Amino acid sequence: MDDSASRLSLPAGVESITAFCEFVRVGAVAAGIDGSEIGKLDLVLEEILINIARYAYAPLSGVTEVSYMPEGHGRLRVEIADCGRAFNPLDVDSPDFSRGLADRPIGGLGLFLIKGLVEFIAYRREDNRNILSFVFPAAGE
Amino acid sequence: MTIEPTELDKAVLLKVSGRMDAENAHQFEQACDHWISLGAKHLIADLEGLQYVSSMGLRGFLAIAQKLQSASGSLILCGLHGLPRQVFEMTRLIGLFPVFETTQQAIRTL
Repeated sequence: MDDSASRLSLPAGVESITAFCEFVRVGAVAAGIDGSEIGKLDLVLEEILINIARYAYAPLSGVTEVSYMPEGHGRLRVEIADCGRAFNPLDVDSPDFSRGLADRPIGGLGLFLIKGLVEFIAYRREDNRNILSFVFPAAGE
Repeated sequence: MTIEPTELDKAVLLKVSGRMDAENAHQFEQACDHWISLGAKHLIADLEGLQYVSSMGLRGFLAIAQKLQSASGSLILCGLHGLPRQVFEMTRLIGLFPVFETTQQAIRTL
């Protein structure tokens, strides 16, 4: 993400998720993303940010940085960075969908959702930071 | 998010409206637990007014449905549409719940 990107840093807590979503929505509207897609963008952001809020720094606290820039008309590139423990969310296995209600695992749904809603998603560990970048919306949306 | 409960003969109807996100998803699970503790076996969630649900909300639906099933009860979903319906479909949870278009249809099955 180059210097022209818009950036916002806030405490990495659940209470910051709404502010991050509102921040990125501004970029989404400016990039020409259809208003009907905003709920999906909120969902992707929340699923990533809640993982950072719960696990990246626990039991201590830290900061999350969200940045974005247009990726052509109707597309937005977003990067979410934290300085917490190294964690690649893309390594998490998908839930076992073959199981019935009684045995269906409760975790792992959020990361599975993200992969279905973005066009591209990649993780890198750089300068002791976890950086997850994606392009929204998914191709064909 | 608002949750409006109505006691019926054989179930409790919970009308859920607004956004169910990381900050408030626990309220739905708490509301369901409250009615289960009072003896409700069947809960009907009217989701016509639900505009958004994230995985934190899905966890609540799944946990309550598992709890009720183990007590020979059920969590019934009605009025799922738009993004929440898409989320239930993408995570393949939709097949795990009894799902109806309207609460009247759900009530008739009890």
